[in-house]
Amino acid sequence: MSPFLSVAVLLLVTGVLFTVPLLPAIRELQRKSDALPLDVIQQHAGEIRYFADRFRTYLEPLEPILREASVTGQQASGVMSDGTEYLVLGSGTEAQALPLGEEDKLCPVLVASVSDLTVSANSTFSRDIYSRGHFVGESNNQYRALLSERGLHLGKGSSVMRWVHAGDELQVENACKLFGRASSDTGIRLSPDCSFVRLNAPRIQFGNAAEMSRSLPQPAALLATSKRQLYDEDFEIKSGETFEGDLVVRGNLRIGSGAQVFGSVKSGKDLIVESQAMIDGSLISAKKLQIGPQCTVRGPIISERSLVIDGGAQCGAADAPTTVSATRISIAPGVMVFGTVWAREQGEVLA
Amino acid sequence: MIYVLYIIVLTICVYTARHYWFTLNRLFGFQRHPYIDIDTADWPPVTVLVAAHNEELVVSHILEALLAAKYPADKMLIVPVNDRSTDRTREIIDDFVQRFPRRIRPFHRTEGKPGKAAALKDAMEFVETEVILIFDADYIPGAGIIRQLTAPFFDPEVGGVMGRVVPMNVGANLLTRLLDLERSGGYQVDQQARMNLRLVPQHGGTVAGVRRSALREIGGWNEKSLTEDTDLTYRLLLHGWKTVYQNRSECYEEVPETWPVRIRQIMRWAKGHNQAMATYAFGLLFGENRATLRERIDGALLLGVYAMGPITLLGWILALTVFYQGIAQFNGIIALLSLTAYAAIGNLAAFFEIAAAVRLDGHRKRIAILPFLALGFTVSIFSVSNAALSQISGLFTKAEFHWDKTERFRKATS
Repeated sequence: MSPFLSVAVLLLVTGVLFTVPLLPAIRELQRKSDALPLDVIQQHAGEIRYFADRFRTYLEPLEPILREASVTGQQASGVMSDGTEYLVLGSGTEAQALPLGEEDKLCPVLVASVSDLTVSANSTFSRDIYSRGHFVGESNNQYRALLSERGLHLGKGSSVMRWVHAGDELQVENACKLFGRASSDTGIRLSPDCSFVRLNAPRIQFGNAAEMSRSLPQPAALLATSKRQLYDEDFEIKSGETFEGDLVVRGNLRIGSGAQVFGSVKSGKDLIVESQAMIDGSLISAKKLQIGPQCTVRGPIISERSLVIDGGAQCGAADAPTTVSATRISIAPGVMVFGTVWAREQGEVLA
Repeated sequence: MIYVLYIIVLTICVYTARHYWFTLNRLFGFQRHPYIDIDTADWPPVTVLVAAHNEELVVSHILEALLAAKYPADKMLIVPVNDRSTDRTREIIDDFVQRFPRRIRPFHRTEGKPGKAAALKDAMEFVETEVILIFDADYIPGAGIIRQLTAPFFDPEVGGVMGRVVPMNVGANLLTRLLDLERSGGYQVDQQARMNLRLVPQHGGTVAGVRRSALREIGGWNEKSLTEDTDLTYRLLLHGWKTVYQNRSECYEEVPETWPVRIRQIMRWAKGHNQAMATYAFGLLFGENRATLRERIDGALLLGVYAMGPITLLGWILALTVFYQGIAQFNGIIALLSLTAYAAIGNLAAFFEIAAAVRLDGHRKRIAILPFLALGFTVSIFSVSNAALSQISGLFTKAEFHWDKTERFRKATS
C-alpha cells in the first residue's frame, strides 16, 4: 500500500471512529427529544395533605351526584372519566350494600359516602374511600387510601397502603400499619404496636399520652442569635445543670436528668437525653438519639440513624409545632408530639 | 522533567479516583438528607437577599416567585440588592415595593466597590435575622424552597446551606445542553456525594443560605474575593461551621447561551477559586483549624479543581517533549502510557459521573449529548488555563481583579 493511501486510510478510520459516537448526539441535538428543564421543582414539597386535596379535586365531577344522594339518601353508581367504577352511598346504613366479594371480601370500586360510614371487618378496599361523615373501619381491614371530612377510626390490625386523612380526629387501634402519609386537621391517636412512616397533626398522641401539654418556660426563641460552644470530644451536661446557648459536640453527648438547655444541641455521635430534661431548642444527632421519659424538647428532633422516645416525653408545643425525623423511630406509649413525625424507613409505637 | 510529569499524572489519578468514589457513593452508598423532612416547625424569621445588577429582564420573575413562597409572610423579608444598575431594575423593584411594602425592603446601591460580595456586604445593614438566604436575580425558586433552605439552620453546627441549581434554558443550543449535563454531574453527584461522605459541600452563593452569627464570626463577606461563595465555604469550614447541601431543594437558573459569555463566566470562577486556593489551602491542610481530617483533604482537592486545567495542559506538553526528546526511553514510554491512561480513565471518570447523574435524574435521551462534552472540557481547560496565566502575570503587573457580570438571555415580559 502506498504511503499516501495509508495516511488516507488512517485519516478516514480516525475520522469514522471520531464521528460515530457523535451521530446519536447530533440526532438528539436536531430532534430535541429530551431538551426540557428537569421537572424537579416541587411546588408541593412536604405538603402532607397533597394527596387528600388532589382526591377532593378528583371527586369534583361527582359533586351533583353526592348532593342528590345526601337529599334522597339513595345510592348511585357509575364510572369516572378515567374508567374507575364508583359507588355513592346516601346513608351509612347502606354500607352493607358495598360490593364485597363473598370469599375475599374485596371491594373493587371507589366508595364515596355523604354521611357516616362503617365498614365491616376483614375487608379489602382496592380503591380509595371518601366519607363526608365519620368513618369507622372494623378490624383487620386493608385500605388503599382514605379521606374523611370528619373523624376516622381504624380498627385493630388494619392497614392503609397509601395515605389517610381525617378532617377531625384520626384514631388508630392496636397493630395497625400505616404505610404512607397519615394526617389529621385536629389530632391523631396511635395505639401500641402500630407502625407508621409519616404522621402530621396539630397533636399526635401515642398510646395513652396525657391530653394536656406541658408548657415551655419561655416563648419560642428558635434560632435567635446565641453563643455557640463547640467540643471535639465527648461531652456531658450534668443532671440538674442549666446550659445556655447552642452546643455542638463532635463526640457522644449525654444530657443528664432534669438538665435544662436554653439553645439547640447537636451531637456528631450518639446523643442520650435522660429523664425530665428540657431542651428549649432543636435536638440533632448524626447517629443514635434516645430521649428519656418526661423530657420536653421544643424544636425539631433529628437523628440520622435511630430514635427512641420514652413515655411521657413531649416534642414541640401547641404554639410551637415541630418535626421529629429519623431513619427508624420507636416511640413508647405516653409520648405527645405537636406537628410531624417522619420515619424514613419505619416508625413503631412500642407495646 | 520526567519526575514533574509523574507528579502530574499522580495528581490526575487522585482526581480520577475521587470522581469514581463520588459516583459510586451516589449510586450505591447511604444518602444523607437529614433536614429535608423538617416540614413543620416554629419557623424563624428570614431575610432573602436578591443580588441584582442590571437585571431588568429577570428580576420581576424572582420577586414573584419569592412572594409565592410557602413561608409565613410575617417572618420573611425580601431585600432586592440593586447593585448600581443602570437599566430598569430599580424601577421594577420599586413597583413591587409599592405593591408589597411590608414584604419587600429594597436596597438600592448607587456607589461603592463593584461585585456581588461588596454589594452583599453593604446590604447586611438591612439584615436583622439569624437566617439569611441568597438568590441571584436570574433564579426562579419553587414554593417550598425557603423552608427547605431554612430547615438546616435548626442544626447549630450548620453555618451555610446550598441548594441545587437546575438550568431552565436547556434546549437553547448545544452549549446550554452541555451545561445542563455539567450541572447534573456537579450537583446530583459531586455535591450530594460530598454531603453523604461528610466532606466539603460547596456554598454556591445563590440558592443558598448563611447564618448571620457564623458570618460575623468569620468576618463577613469578603469583598476582595471574585467568588465570595468559595471564600465563604472555606472560612466557615476553618471556623468549625458546616456547609450542607440539600439536593432536593432545586431552583431554576439561566445558563449562558453563548460561548464568549460562558468563557468569561468560567474564567471568573477559576480566578476566584484559585484566589481561594492561594489563601486557604495551606492553612486548611496544615494549620490549626476546626476541620476534620477528611474535610481537610477533600477541601484541598476541591480548591485545586480549577488548577487542574493548566496542570493537564502542562502534562500534555511535558509528555510529548519527553517522548520526542527521547529522554530515558523506558521512562518516556511509561510517561506516555500513564498520560494515555489518565486521558482515557480520567475523562471517562467525569463522563461516568455525568452519565450517573443523568440516570439519577431519571432521564435517558439527553445522555446522547455526552460525547460533545469533550468539546466543553476542551474549552474549559483552555479557559481556566488562560485565567491562571493572567492571574500569575497579574502578580507582576499588580493588575486588579475585574468582576464580569454574566449576561442574561431571557426575553423581556410586559
